[in-house]
Amino acid sequence: MRSVLKGGSAARGMALGRARLEQPGRILVDDRPLAADEIEPEVERLLAAIGLARDELRTLRDKLHGTLASEVGDFLEAHGLILADRDLVAGLVDLVRLGRYRASAALKLQRDKLVAVFEAMEDAYLRSRKEDIDHVLGRVQAALVRESSVEERKLASRVGEILVSDIVAPAELVPLAENGMLGAVLTNGSTLSHSAILARSLRLPMVVGVDDALGSIADGDLILVDGEHGEVVVHPNAQDIARYRHWQREQVQIGKRLARLREAQTLTRDGVPIRLYANAERPADVARARLSGAAGIGLYRTEFLFLQRREIPGEEEQFLAYRDLVLGMGGLPVTIRTLDLGADKADASGVALEEEPNPALGVRGVRLALRHPQLMISQLRAIVRASSYGPVRILVPMITLIEEIHSVRRMLDQCVHDLRSTGQEIAGQVELGAMIEVPAAAIALGGLIRYVDFISIGTNDLVQYVLAADRANDHLGTLYDPLHPAVIKLLAQILAIARRARRPVSLCGEMAADTRYTALLLALGLEDFSMHPGALLEVRERIAQLDHAELLRHAPALLRASSGARIAGVLQRMQA
Amino acid sequence: MLERDITVSNRLGLHARASAKLVQALQGFQANIFITYRGKEVNAKSIMGVMMLAAGLGAQLRLRADGPDEEAAMAAMVDLFERKFDEGQ
Repeated sequence: MRSVLKGGSAARGMALGRARLEQPGRILVDDRPLAADEIEPEVERLLAAIGLARDELRTLRDKLHGTLASEVGDFLEAHGLILADRDLVAGLVDLVRLGRYRASAALKLQRDKLVAVFEAMEDAYLRSRKEDIDHVLGRVQAALVRESSVEERKLASRVGEILVSDIVAPAELVPLAENGMLGAVLTNGSTLSHSAILARSLRLPMVVGVDDALGSIADGDLILVDGEHGEVVVHPNAQDIARYRHWQREQVQIGKRLARLREAQTLTRDGVPIRLYANAERPADVARARLSGAAGIGLYRTEFLFLQRREIPGEEEQFLAYRDLVLGMGGLPVTIRTLDLGADKADASGVALEEEPNPALGVRGVRLALRHPQLMISQLRAIVRASSYGPVRILVPMITLIEEIHSVRRMLDQCVHDLRSTGQEIAGQVELGAMIEVPAAAIALGGLIRYVDFISIGTNDLVQYVLAADRANDHLGTLYDPLHPAVIKLLAQILAIARRARRPVSLCGEMAADTRYTALLLALGLEDFSMHPGALLEVRERIAQLDHAELLRHAPALLRASSGARIAGVLQRMQA
Repeated sequence: MLERDITVSNRLGLHARASAKLVQALQGFQANIFITYRGKEVNAKSIMGVMMLAAGLGAQLRLRADGPDEEAAMAAMVDLFERKFDEGQ
């Protein structure tokens, strides 16, 4: 029976495929009691899975070295101890032996019991650590699942499948997409989450906030994900499929039209040149940046290199990655952002750097780097070494204080000096820039900008910090609004200060990629945009429709408007 | 048998990593070691037991060690609490 589920569009596009239900965090359970002769083999399966999970933790820990070994190591150590806890293991074995539960059901019962204890805790931080239990028991559950060959076969290919789940971590999304997954439907999630941003850059249609997806969709159902309208059609009929085919044909047309723009310069209707750079984090992004005619890489996120591996890559490995990136861009400028990890971003990979009650305001970006100078120095050295292969700039995230810039500058000078004295050939000068995303740095930019060679505005974080609204929190609804007058005024001020100080300024948040904001950003005076390569041709097409001189005349009206709605109104008149 | 009262003074309380450090520090001792908090007593050598105490910053705990090396065990335990589990806060 055809049915339509409503949600929010997190990544545009459409996908038609088989639903693949995944219930991470929850445990799919076979509730049938064990027969007497099944009990001992099941106990052995359980103990073997616990052993496997412990081995995995040990292997992970042994791989760690350098500055993170102590912090992450402690965390893995604790998880290993939990798995070795006599009471916990005896409780699980009792459930199988006396309760005749299957291993997976015993794990679920134990998990629910323990989580209930955590949820009753008064201390908010300790309460949140029920994650440790989920993480540890989840590992055992995964080990159990891996043993079954049926499950293995199911995992092998994602071709033609659409993920239906409660939530998906950014680190999980990439391998799924690479294995042929077509789209995703999530019961939770937000259109502004890191996973949503990644889905857009992967061009993977994603609909989020579909409350009853796990109840209304069965494994194997044919479903149509409509990321254009934020809908999911279960058991689509002939008309739905015709609509999908129509969309597909349209995409081919758009693709052809945009292809013509690949070689084109980016010019406004009245001939003002604008530079469009690509954001990148994976080798494939570099190829796409070239294909889309990007002016260079405006933001290379190095976290991917770190998170993918679950260990810290050394200087040599980083150097090779940066060198290939620089060579891949064939002489176009490349801006490499130094490590931008925080407790929240690290969690996505399963390895928390720090346990922090408020990661967005915690040790992240340059703050983390300055606490681990060795980590920062090996990254700076790798970047400086890569600079002999093409133009490279270094961008430092989360700058709040001038002193942070001084500290990084000193480290950078030392790296250049050390490399030169060992006879390394390096570029004459590697420019150092600050990411402007902390409101303090934006407000006090006039004093700070003299000490950097360029700035890059990170609107994703800047907007969330200015509005004190978590961009991934669904309950805040429209509060996270880049059109809030405070955001517009701050952006205008940043651009004006950069212009006066004659420092290049680019903008690398999601706003840059969203054609709804192109006219606004041009009106405020932005000339350098950096976005995921998939959006580049559309933005170039949009810019070609806009008259720069006309937009600049509207800037005062934008700055006078007293609400997001009024600003949206001015924008509409501008684009009419 | 030795008893001693102590207050949790590290900011994050007895979370998994702190509990792990405690359990590891006590592993080598023969003495039976217990922690009591709000009427609940757990084996201090069991990480699950210690985590389940839900002892946050400021929690008043009673430590009890009983066995041939109870003094050394108690000293090791108190030392760890006083060093705030080396968390620096």
